[in-house]
Amino acid sequence: MSGPTQLSRRRFIGSGVATTAGLGLLSSCSKSSGSSGGKTTIRFSYLWTGEEAKALETVIAKFNASQSYIVVKGVSNPDQQAQLAAMTGSKGSFDVSDNFGTVTGAWASKGVIKSLDEYIKKDNFDIDDFVPSAITQCRYQGQIYQLPIAVNNSALLYNKDLFDKVGIAKPPTTMSEWAEAIGKLTKTSGGQITQLGLGGTSGAGIDYRLMGAVYGGQWYTDGKPSPTDQGNIDGADFYVNNVIKKYGVKQIDRFVSGFGDYQSPQNPFYQGKLAMVIDGEWQPAFIKQFAPKLNWGVVPVPYPDGQQDQANTNLVNPGTFFIPSNSQHPDQAWEFLKYLVSKDAMRTFTVALSNLPARKSLLGDQAYADIPNFDVFLKLLGDKNASSIPSEPSFSQYTSDLGTADDQITRLVKTPAAAYAQVATAAKSYG
Amino acid sequence: MAGPILVSLYYSFTEFNLFQSPKWVGLDNYLSLFSDPKFVRSIINTAYLTVIGVPLGLALGMLVALALNFPVRGQPLYRAIVYLPAIVPVVTATYLWRWVFNAQYGYLNQMLGHLGLTGPNWLSDPVWTKPAVIIITLWGIGGTAVIYLAALQQVPQQLYEAAAVDGANGWQRFWHVTWPALTPVTLFQLIMGVIAAVQIFAPTFLLTQSRGNAANGGPGDSLLTYTMYLFQNAFVFLKMGEAAAMAWILFMFIGLLTLLILFSSKRWVHYGSE
Repeated sequence: MSGPTQLSRRRFIGSGVATTAGLGLLSSCSKSSGSSGGKTTIRFSYLWTGEEAKALETVIAKFNASQSYIVVKGVSNPDQQAQLAAMTGSKGSFDVSDNFGTVTGAWASKGVIKSLDEYIKKDNFDIDDFVPSAITQCRYQGQIYQLPIAVNNSALLYNKDLFDKVGIAKPPTTMSEWAEAIGKLTKTSGGQITQLGLGGTSGAGIDYRLMGAVYGGQWYTDGKPSPTDQGNIDGADFYVNNVIKKYGVKQIDRFVSGFGDYQSPQNPFYQGKLAMVIDGEWQPAFIKQFAPKLNWGVVPVPYPDGQQDQANTNLVNPGTFFIPSNSQHPDQAWEFLKYLVSKDAMRTFTVALSNLPARKSLLGDQAYADIPNFDVFLKLLGDKNASSIPSEPSFSQYTSDLGTADDQITRLVKTPAAAYAQVATAAKSYG
Repeated sequence: MAGPILVSLYYSFTEFNLFQSPKWVGLDNYLSLFSDPKFVRSIINTAYLTVIGVPLGLALGMLVALALNFPVRGQPLYRAIVYLPAIVPVVTATYLWRWVFNAQYGYLNQMLGHLGLTGPNWLSDPVWTKPAVIIITLWGIGGTAVIYLAALQQVPQQLYEAAAVDGANGWQRFWHVTWPALTPVTLFQLIMGVIAAVQIFAPTFLLTQSRGNAANGGPGDSLLTYTMYLFQNAFVFLKMGEAAAMAWILFMFIGLLTLLILFSSKRWVHYGSE
């Protein structure tokens, strides 16, 4: 399962319920922003909830305290469909909101969100301090439409105790070492899997987008979907050959069906059911909270043998802010948006979430020093092999079709080559 | 009400993404849907749930109603127990069933284990996901059963007495007295059941939710129902034109199917005055 998908699940868990309730929620946030008492009130509708929303409210409070002419009113509304619908009218119900870098192309191409180029130029706003892979997803046809705050990437988490038990001295760095470790760390009893060397975070399958990238695969080439890139096929083949075909999809299905909730002490990696898992930089904070005694480590995802130049490959997915085209106060929204992605606000927010900061100048910041193993993710983000999948207008449909293909690959219904060829055919009609 | 309906018809002939003006494309949306494998898959999935789920629901609802009609001690309690699931919100019920269906720790497979059977991977094996949805819908047949029960109580006792005098056995009494009396209600429940089944959304959406975002159709797209694909086209892919076309196809299909059922009812529905 891809990083963005994991992130979506994490952030928008339960939002489907609200979604099915329809767009009625919109009425609750239809009160437009305006001016009062000499200050302009702008509405900041964000998708975050719970602790993440609290962290954001701290940032909002700081901004408001520093302002003499703008007041920001934060509203937590974790419903993407409501967010989308609110941006369809001529008069918007919010002035700033958040989403992911992945929506940039789809929204920018339809004129839903404002290009920030004019503001960036006017204020001589320093874009160069943003991590290149994160800002890449905020661009569409050369213009910047969003600005990133918190970034997600993934690495290989491993259980040190389980490694010790089978006598593996160090985590794998190459694919052959990885394959060997998976074999040694997978245990079966009476035909049933009791411990899996490598698994997906919540089921069978793995982050196939990242696996493709590790093998040098490109998911878009020159703005067009390129699922059949050989690297993408090789990445999926690695998992299929070393896990699925070896241990059987039905056995793996049965094993993963007993997994507990991802965000709980019953997470299979915390429970020692998975010896290795590819997961995101939020895990150090989660493990501290849910499994403080877990003896774990993290390393970059291994690279193909003999291709050391592919070491440290990681895919990033930034959480981003934008100004909708129908904002009533875009200039004030820009002032606030600038503050949201300033070093101070970014540090406050990302430390609270244990997410990576989107600014290069924060990658070595001491604020992150107390989070165990976080340095690996920070280093990966700063590496030349950090990249993001370009945010093209077809992204969501492409992701959906790739999801279907991933599923077919995991179930051995189709080979990676055949499954991705099918996506390539479907992609011709994306427009 | 006519306004939005007509606007959606217009949108179905356009390329429309919510944000830009609709562009007239004629029948393109309709034509492209029929060459879209996911559209076809969504029809197959929905047909499976309808063709198997609806008759099963009606049969089971009728059987339960017949059982609840027996004058036994504690009858109101049994009736309440059967009806109770029907008032549990679908979201709650689905989450509950996700737990029950867990292949390793779920109650269902544990019960099957006691019988010496190995339960399937209900929610991760494409073969078993749709039966799982049907089981969830069958769990809530209390509403169907209550309507049948009301109809059963309208059957004149004299007819049973006359049948008994004629020497009819249990099956003959059911076939010649009870069933004809129940056919008008069956017609109503069949139409309502079919309409609900072809529009099924919440259980399939919620069962596949843990596997990712809204664009998911479950393992092997086995739970990609018609309305789920419509939802994806509209709100995930921003293809409002295709979504509107899907809505109109569904609307026309439901209309046609209802007419066919009504037409066929002349052959099998018996009204009291006849």
